[in-house]
Amino acid sequence: MKLKKIPAILLAALMVVSLLGGCVSSYVDKTTEAPAPQTTEAPKPTEGTSAEPGTTEAPAPATEADISGTKLVVWYAVSGTSGDLFNKLSEKFAKETGVELELSYSGGSGDTATKVSAALLTQTQPDVALMYAGPLYTGGEGDFRIADLLKTTNDFDQADVFEGMMDYCDYMNEGFCAIPCGISTQVMYYNKDILKAAGVDMTNPPKTWAEFYDVLGKVMEKGNTSGAEGFKAFDTNDEAWLFKSMLMQNGCEIIENDNGEITPIFNNEKAVEVGDYWKSLVDAGYMSAAQHSNAEKAFLGGNLAFIAASSNRISRWTADSVPFELGAIEMPYFTQPSLALGGNVLVILTKDESKLQAAWKYVTYLTNAENNTEFALGTGYLPIHKSAMERKEVKDAIAANEMYTVAFNQLSYTWAYTHFQEMGTMDTQIKSALGKLEKGRGTSQEVLDKAVKEVQDEINDK
Amino acid sequence: MSKTKKYRYNRHTATFVLLLILSLAMIFPFVWMILSSFKTAADVYQYPPRWIPSVWNWKNYGQVFRMIPFLRYYWNSIVTTVAETGLQIIISVLAAYSLVHLKWPGQNFVAALMRSSMFVPMVVTMIPMYLLCASLGLIDTYAGIILPQITTAFTTFLLMSYFASIPQDMIDAAKLDGCGPTGVMMRVVVPNTKGAIATATLFSFLGNWKSYTWPLIITSKTEYRTLPIGLKYLTQESSSEYQVMMAAAVMTILPVLIVFIFFEKQLVRSITLTGMKS
Repeated sequence: MKLKKIPAILLAALMVVSLLGGCVSSYVDKTTEAPAPQTTEAPKPTEGTSAEPGTTEAPAPATEADISGTKLVVWYAVSGTSGDLFNKLSEKFAKETGVELELSYSGGSGDTATKVSAALLTQTQPDVALMYAGPLYTGGEGDFRIADLLKTTNDFDQADVFEGMMDYCDYMNEGFCAIPCGISTQVMYYNKDILKAAGVDMTNPPKTWAEFYDVLGKVMEKGNTSGAEGFKAFDTNDEAWLFKSMLMQNGCEIIENDNGEITPIFNNEKAVEVGDYWKSLVDAGYMSAAQHSNAEKAFLGGNLAFIAASSNRISRWTADSVPFELGAIEMPYFTQPSLALGGNVLVILTKDESKLQAAWKYVTYLTNAENNTEFALGTGYLPIHKSAMERKEVKDAIAANEMYTVAFNQLSYTWAYTHFQEMGTMDTQIKSALGKLEKGRGTSQEVLDKAVKEVQDEINDK
Repeated sequence: MSKTKKYRYNRHTATFVLLLILSLAMIFPFVWMILSSFKTAADVYQYPPRWIPSVWNWKNYGQVFRMIPFLRYYWNSIVTTVAETGLQIIISVLAAYSLVHLKWPGQNFVAALMRSSMFVPMVVTMIPMYLLCASLGLIDTYAGIILPQITTAFTTFLLMSYFASIPQDMIDAAKLDGCGPTGVMMRVVVPNTKGAIATATLFSFLGNWKSYTWPLIITSKTEYRTLPIGLKYLTQESSSEYQVMMAAAVMTILPVLIVFIFFEKQLVRSITLTGMKS
């Protein structure tokens, strides 16, 4: 045997050992086999899929016996701890109802969008999906069955859901076509050690972006105690999301929806003011230019004092995983507090009407107050029910982690603009505009004009 | 020590130091990955960075197996990568030989067509490819993962450049000895370009091993999912758990290392021959 081959053989042996070693804690298969159905009779199909909400006969309310034995294919775009909790709740549903679930992780938001788009074209779509921008794939296809089900069943307490979150499930003001699940807003997290060193009293946090700007100045002056190169006072890992919130805070509605005709307006006077503020953060050296993808690493590495990031980080950034004391404040604002919602929704995509009731039961099970609160607290996403605030587990969570208070307080001023087909392009264009602005490749007016034109062109080309 | 010897010694030392620095720079991410796979979350984000873990945390490896069906994904990756690589190389060898050493009508047009396919990003062909596979009933099958990925212009053109370097005299001699086109290919061209084929195999293996988007799109069932999808599941939402991701990455990279060790000799040889071609 040649000596050269020995390392390869050793590596192969190591691979086998590590694989076997890892097997000690074996993976639990995500496919949920339901218990044997109590009845073998096939569920009765329900009538018609409507193109317009409320125009068809009401689907008959289903009982558990009706849906037992139904098989649902579910795709979900959440991973890690969120994915695991989603699976756990799904398994609980399967056990309680006898519905068989085939759960499949569908990748990130972009991957899932591609996968669902392709599947819809070939009629191989899942029955239910947890995904970003879900209304584009239901309402956008003329499917408003969820609006009908909301009207005709009592399975989902719509009145108890935050208005902004229901708006997030609307398509072009034509009706609801999704159910919120895994929704988040951005929260302003900060490194308490840095702020302490900078002598900033965070018991009275900055309320407006102007006050925040002053705090950043103090942070840059005294906060870099480790002398780290590249230390910055503020950044965000999702600039388009934050910028849209800031636009609304300054009175810019981002888009106008005139009976389905979308016009982007994020280049008006109010938007330019926001752009100028954004640029001033870079010019003053408080924020890095076009380094947002590194913001989270910089923050966790102690090189950044403030970061605007998703509320779902609350449950992930624990004392064990973050090497400093972490705090959070409500997002500063210009003239009025306002925060754009983000995250996922549940959509029913099945074309098999016999599965509709099971799919609806599944969706409403995952989003009832009890389960949604469990999902929210386990993942850091926001509870969708107003009544969740009164639940003991929420109060306990707030008592244990003050950052939950911040995220939950912000719920009262969250909003969502209507879903429209070019919303992905809009986010891309906003990111591109901010990148140019930060690098000094144009004024706020110039970069925003160009971004608006690109979005408008795509709308016109439709 | 004479001046010349001293000069040579100094020059060699400088070269050695430079190469050492470059080698360390190359090996740094690999070492960092291995060390990080044993760190706690606090160690990963510590600033200034901590090289050696404060505690050797083996639990990260167990965590990988708890979160995803790692063994199943591993097996699927091996099956699909080996099949894709094998078929890619066979097809590329045949195509390259045909384009370089055979004469047939439309040859240049086909070569140009293949070349132009290299400029079309996969994302553009993704949905048409999916539609085709769906109509053939290939969704959630190994064939669905493998077949659309077995033709690649890159490997074909890589091999073409080496096949063209075989002296025509050698091919003519083989023909005089009674070899047909297949004989020439199998007895002359392939044996004399083993290094190039090894290089192409290595590139092909690497590309297939890390292929993510297509396997994700074409499969939904766990039993057909491959390792990159599993890694994505670990990383996307566990952005603050790099140590788990690194543990998975260490285990994922082992087959690539094994393949590299086996093909290293041929790879180095092919690089050397590249310099001598003219």
